[in-house]
Amino acid sequence: MTRILMKGNEAIAEAAIRAGGVHYFAYPITPQSEVGEYLAKRLPEVGGVFVQAESEVAVGNMLFGAASTGKRVFTSSSSPGVSLMQEAISYMAGAQLPVVIINIMRGGPGLGGILPAQSDYFQSTKGGGHGDYRLLVLAPASVQEAVDLTMLGFHLADKYRNPVLVIGDGMIGQMMEPVEFPDKYDEPALPAKDWAITGAKGRKPLITKSLFLDPYALEQNNIVIHAKYEQMKANEIRFELYKVSAKNRMLIVSYGTMARICQTVIDDLEREGVSIGLLRPISLWPFPEMQIRTEAAKPNIERVLTVEMSMGQMVEDVDKAVQGKKPVDFFGRTGGIVPAPEEVRERILKLLDGKMAK
Amino acid sequence: MTDRSYISFDKRIVIFAGAYGSGKTEVAVNYAIQLAQHSEDPISIIDLDIVNPYFRSREAALEMETYGIRPINPLGEQTFADLPIIVPQIRASIESSSGRVIIDVGGDDLGARVLSSMHDALETAQYEFLMVLNANRPFTSTVDGALKMMHDIETSARLNFTGIVSNTHLIGETTPQTILDGIALAQAVAVRAEIPLVFASGMDEVIAKLENKNISTPLFSLSRRMLKPWEHASSTAKNH
Repeated sequence: MTRILMKGNEAIAEAAIRAGGVHYFAYPITPQSEVGEYLAKRLPEVGGVFVQAESEVAVGNMLFGAASTGKRVFTSSSSPGVSLMQEAISYMAGAQLPVVIINIMRGGPGLGGILPAQSDYFQSTKGGGHGDYRLLVLAPASVQEAVDLTMLGFHLADKYRNPVLVIGDGMIGQMMEPVEFPDKYDEPALPAKDWAITGAKGRKPLITKSLFLDPYALEQNNIVIHAKYEQMKANEIRFELYKVSAKNRMLIVSYGTMARICQTVIDDLEREGVSIGLLRPISLWPFPEMQIRTEAAKPNIERVLTVEMSMGQMVEDVDKAVQGKKPVDFFGRTGGIVPAPEEVRERILKLLDGKMAK
Repeated sequence: MTDRSYISFDKRIVIFAGAYGSGKTEVAVNYAIQLAQHSEDPISIIDLDIVNPYFRSREAALEMETYGIRPINPLGEQTFADLPIIVPQIRASIESSSGRVIIDVGGDDLGARVLSSMHDALETAQYEFLMVLNANRPFTSTVDGALKMMHDIETSARLNFTGIVSNTHLIGETTPQTILDGIALAQAVAVRAEIPLVFASGMDEVIAKLENKNISTPLFSLSRRMLKPWEHASSTAKNH
């Protein structure tokens, strides 16, 4: 297929269809509403279903029911809407249901605003709902990567029978970039869905649930799902390095479109003779903890800087990864303010103060 | 930008509409700035985008003021809202008998619906209603798709298009051929719709490469105003 120009939200919607996600449940919210608008046009063409629920609470429960049938199901929302789904997300993790949830984040807390933010990192990676569970969390930095990770998300959800969250700041949903889609989504073979509720004719009935009153059964369920989290940590850590070299004086850790602003700053500073490297986590959970530890420990690295569109969330995981071996600094803006390259540059130079190359 | 690419219209009001992401805002903002450099008349630009939450012409409001253009958009906290706010200055500027007015309408038929509320005022005014067309967008990549989009917008806006603007591009990946392919589609659409193709727009550096080609459609050079936060004003789009 040729390259076309798409808004992130539209591209995510088309990517879901290409990955076989044709059962969509959602409630509109800015800045992700174009996902639903696009699917309202496209799903009837591919034999899919879009049910607009009365609220995001209902969306979560519709996902639970639909996912139990073994079909590829998904939703998209933005921060306040995703908060409303947390109960069902916990239930789906407990019931081992594959589902893809897209969160195009806006500024919070509360209703907040409609401009871009990355302040749902805690909610996404630490369990916004109750209980001992994890989500596989993917964070694209471009419209093309949003396409690729959405399709991968459906595969990983099925592979681990676990909800997958794809999170992008509002910019990912609203900006336009050229993209292309594979004609056919090639994915490795998946195990048969012998757990799917498809009608009990000729076999024993199946029950999909997260309720285990027997404490031993509940503990056993937790042991089973945690074994999968260990597999995810072993297999699903994704990240990208940018201009990482032995000349770097600082390592930046940043994700999503914030990382692209950092790349611009890194390019600018390189021309001025200041060498900085970037590690961009693509999977926020599992987190590239060892990779950050290794990069930060290199003798040329003086400091580690985490840059986020938040008051400082991922920085806690970066701090944990670095284990006190190097100073870990934070820079962020919030409320929907996207830091300009100039502010990031200024902060970097201030931190490297007195030890400037030029 | 050169005089070569200046396009003038006799009509006092120029309205840019089209599908989502066709580049209406970029064209409208650039057009307003060029007009300001060629006209003594007071110029207003109306941000009538009630469907897009980001990348609206109001984001270029400060820059436009430096050219003496009056931006008309919701003020204060409402600047950042995704609400259908129609400030009273909009109707006043349409009903006025003097001054030039550029209107940047939101995408698709949904975005154009707001125009129908100005129908009575526009009916008696002199206006161009231009369809901005990008052949690389999903729903306007064919003649039939573009005609359907035009029909939907016209029905919703209760106005008939008077011309077509070919704005086919792929942001930083746009080549001269991209623009030529867009013009070919726009010409076919113009024939079927029985309205003229008024100009074809593209970024300065790409339009410059078409200068010596024998192209019958007037060309209009744009310099990018609606930048992403990581893009410098001096550079074209970097792809990730």
